[in-house]
Amino acid sequence: MAKEVELDCMGEACPIPLIKTEKALEELEVGDTLIVLIDHSCAMKNVPEWARKQGHEVELEEVDDGEWECYIEKMK
Amino acid sequence: MKAFFEKIKNNDFYKMWFKDALPYVTGAVLLSVFQIVTFSTTGNPWGVSGVFANWGAWLFELVGGSVEKWFYFSSPGAQATLEAGFLNDPGTWRNLGIIAGALFAAMMASGFKIKKIKSFRQVIAAALGGLLMGYGARIAFGCNIGALFSGIASLSLSGWVFAAFMFAGAIIGSKLLVKYFM
Repeated sequence: MAKEVELDCMGEACPIPLIKTEKALEELEVGDTLIVLIDHSCAMKNVPEWARKQGHEVELEEVDDGEWECYIEKMK
Repeated sequence: MKAFFEKIKNNDFYKMWFKDALPYVTGAVLLSVFQIVTFSTTGNPWGVSGVFANWGAWLFELVGGSVEKWFYFSSPGAQATLEAGFLNDPGTWRNLGIIAGALFAAMMASGFKIKKIKSFRQVIAAALGGLLMGYGARIAFGCNIGALFSGIASLSLSGWVFAAFMFAGAIIGSKLLVKYFM
């Protein structure tokens, strides 16, 4: 059963959201989804960019002014 | 306001100019162009942190202090800038413009948000980092703009030396960050 895990990076500045995302994704199984909560505009750019480069399925959603949710489905 | 952004949200020009980040190359070209504009209009290459030292001096004078005897402000050029005053300094207007422009850009991308402070540790790190950067920028006579960008653009070796040590500092800083914030 694929699971969804939330990673709260609100109030964290670069590069902490990215490092936390890398670590959290390591713990997950293929097919699981990690939802990263971000309110730092540079993390909104580098977290999806890194995940896509790794070959994961990525979707970025703007939930409010300056707040994003990055959905990363682990592909490998 | 919400309705206005709702209306232009899917407009291609809005996305290109305001919503999406500019490509790095576009940013680099714009920075170079404005460096040239700055140099030709003010006679000095672009600098940011030196202006803050002047702001500090004017603030100090405002509360009755005097920096006349300070070695840092002892050159005739520095004295002339301080004498001319806050509003007559091109650097003042440039820095105010950077702050206002950044605010405008964030608002136009509907990305403005007042963030919560996550921990006391974050406050300490931010204050400590700010003080060290400010101090370092003054004893190096420039920050990553004045010493690095303007230095290299002036074909000065000091800019490259600054780059090498800034790179080393960034590595050490990243290690400390992972150690204390992860």
